[in-house]
Amino acid sequence: MNRQPGKILLAGGPDKRGCDIFLGTSGYSYTEWVDNGFYPPGTKSATMLELYSRCFSTVELNYVWYQMARAEPLARMAAKAPQHFRFSSKLTRTMTHERDSEWRAQLQLYREGIVPILERLVAVLVQLPPDFDRTVGNRRYLAELLDGLQGLPVAVEFRHASWAIDSVFKELERRRVTLVTVDEPELPGLFPSLDVITNPDLFYVRFHGRNESGWRSDNMQKKFDYDYSENELFLWCEQKLPQLAAHASHGVIYFNNHVRAQAPNNARRLEKILLNRATG
Amino acid sequence: MLWERTLLHFNVADFAVAVERVVDQTLKRRPVIVAPLGSARAVVYDMSEEAYQSGVRKGMALCQAARLCREAAQLPPRPELYRKAMQGVLKEARLYSPLVEHGVEDGHIFVDVTGTHRLFGPAPDVGLRIRRQVRDGLGLNPIWALASNKLVAKVASRLVKPVGEYIVAPGEEEAFLAPLAVSLLPGLTVREVDRLLEFRIGTVGQLAGLSRQQLMVPFGSRSTFLHNSSRGIDTSQVTGMPLETAPIDCEHVFASDTNDRQEVEAALLKLVATAGQELRNRGQVARRVGIWLRYADSHHIVRQASTHTGTASDFLLRRLADLALERAWLRRTRLRGLRLVCDRLHRQSSQLSLFPETKARSLRQERLLGAMDTIRSRCGQSLIGRGKIVSAENHGTVSVAVSN
Repeated sequence: MNRQPGKILLAGGPDKRGCDIFLGTSGYSYTEWVDNGFYPPGTKSATMLELYSRCFSTVELNYVWYQMARAEPLARMAAKAPQHFRFSSKLTRTMTHERDSEWRAQLQLYREGIVPILERLVAVLVQLPPDFDRTVGNRRYLAELLDGLQGLPVAVEFRHASWAIDSVFKELERRRVTLVTVDEPELPGLFPSLDVITNPDLFYVRFHGRNESGWRSDNMQKKFDYDYSENELFLWCEQKLPQLAAHASHGVIYFNNHVRAQAPNNARRLEKILLNRATG
Repeated sequence: MLWERTLLHFNVADFAVAVERVVDQTLKRRPVIVAPLGSARAVVYDMSEEAYQSGVRKGMALCQAARLCREAAQLPPRPELYRKAMQGVLKEARLYSPLVEHGVEDGHIFVDVTGTHRLFGPAPDVGLRIRRQVRDGLGLNPIWALASNKLVAKVASRLVKPVGEYIVAPGEEEAFLAPLAVSLLPGLTVREVDRLLEFRIGTVGQLAGLSRQQLMVPFGSRSTFLHNSSRGIDTSQVTGMPLETAPIDCEHVFASDTNDRQEVEAALLKLVATAGQELRNRGQVARRVGIWLRYADSHHIVRQASTHTGTASDFLLRRLADLALERAWLRRTRLRGLRLVCDRLHRQSSQLSLFPETKARSLRQERLLGAMDTIRSRCGQSLIGRGKIVSAENHGTVSVAVSN
């Protein structure tokens, strides 16, 4: 049977039927990836998704963090991807990093905007900013935001360490909201890399790279410039991923270290290791 | 390899009002109309979104605008302040690209970030960073749009006015434009839009459905432009000329529409003085002077006059400007504005004359202008000027009569 690229079945799952893992990157439209050989020379942006979907089974849509999701372009984009292909969609920054009193209207627009990819939606990624700590006001805001996202699959990524407590995980579990597992530099104050499962339907992993010096540089080219070694990825396959796969029926893994096409290269490297383990 | 172009368009909506609101925070709570005050026939220079919603438009008579929006604060235009704010925005944009094109204190900027991804990262991130820096540093909040050309970027930013952002992915241009009204396409004249509506062509998609040959019949030489625009094709470059090579462009808007020759000539003299000083500061000479007359009925006429040698002297610039004005001022309709553009610039020769005694007159003029430039740079632009300027402005400042 032909295997879909970027999709692997690992042993585990809550009912022991296995865990389907989808591999991809955060964003796919990078001119730099042409320079670095992931896309063939001369590739235009319009054909990138088609080429990307030959290697991966999912993508995390980044651009909807910069601007509000709009139905027409998303429908046109979805039409370019094969039927089996899945999307995760970042929540727009006006509801996470630049919140204001209009956020409920923004959320409504967002929900309307992502309608064309609903059937192929893995999760809405709520990435919260580093200064979003666990205060009463922020807890209330997050609860209201998650209420507003009800009915959609949701994954929450914290960047502030104060959220790493059991009561938060329990509340996420009650809501069947996925806690995002991150791989990032070990810096004080950052949310730690945990293998906690809060939603048996889905685990969600983001590899940001471990560039300590660039992390707080405010320059994405420095922040996400990291190449995972074979050994670092092997350790993930030995330790955290089996643990996550054991308790969830599906999982997505996205590489965000997009600089110099390290993200797709590392994703393919991880896929190879996982395949060797699965077959071997 | 040719990269796809990546252009950012920034637009600070209602620029003059936005700048005034930074200076005076209390203006944020009420509608604002910027117009020359103290003149019965003054026209609106700019207005806030609230005033726009009340029906106020640029170029409308101030008395009419004031009736439509009675609660609006009325302020006189301060072009120097807007110029300074514009320079602040440009400074932020130039951190990311040398190719930055801008209008005349109108809050519009194009930044070509093609090929900068290795240095600064993905273009949406650059757009957001520039916007944040302008917001945090200057208190202005520009709209930004990202697209593969100027036309599409400009349309995209029109869609999100007064605040927001829009990203049009490369290859999406035609599909993006198709459902939009033809009036949103930049570069179309009112007459062309009306003509299209007569043919029941209301959307860009309908326009794109016509071939170049079909468009040729009603639109003649404009058919190629219309054909390309409707498909989101625009090959014009972001000129991004460094300031030293950019033409010198000055504008005067009359407090009230006029066809008074003395008033127009006085305004022209003032523009010549400004342009001449800028040329001398840059160490450049201009070989062509253009006059752009804007009439009260929105028509405009452009005419030029040129010289082989090039000049930075107010005296010769004035002669060229007078000649261009004579060629342009053909109608009896009153004038709303006057624009002077000095281009075909090159560096001023530092070679001395072989027979200086033949140049005695021009040397005297040069020394005089040098002295006036020094006074202006120390004490302000309006302190010293030629006789006509001062009498026309009636400012009561020191006047220096200079004979030609």
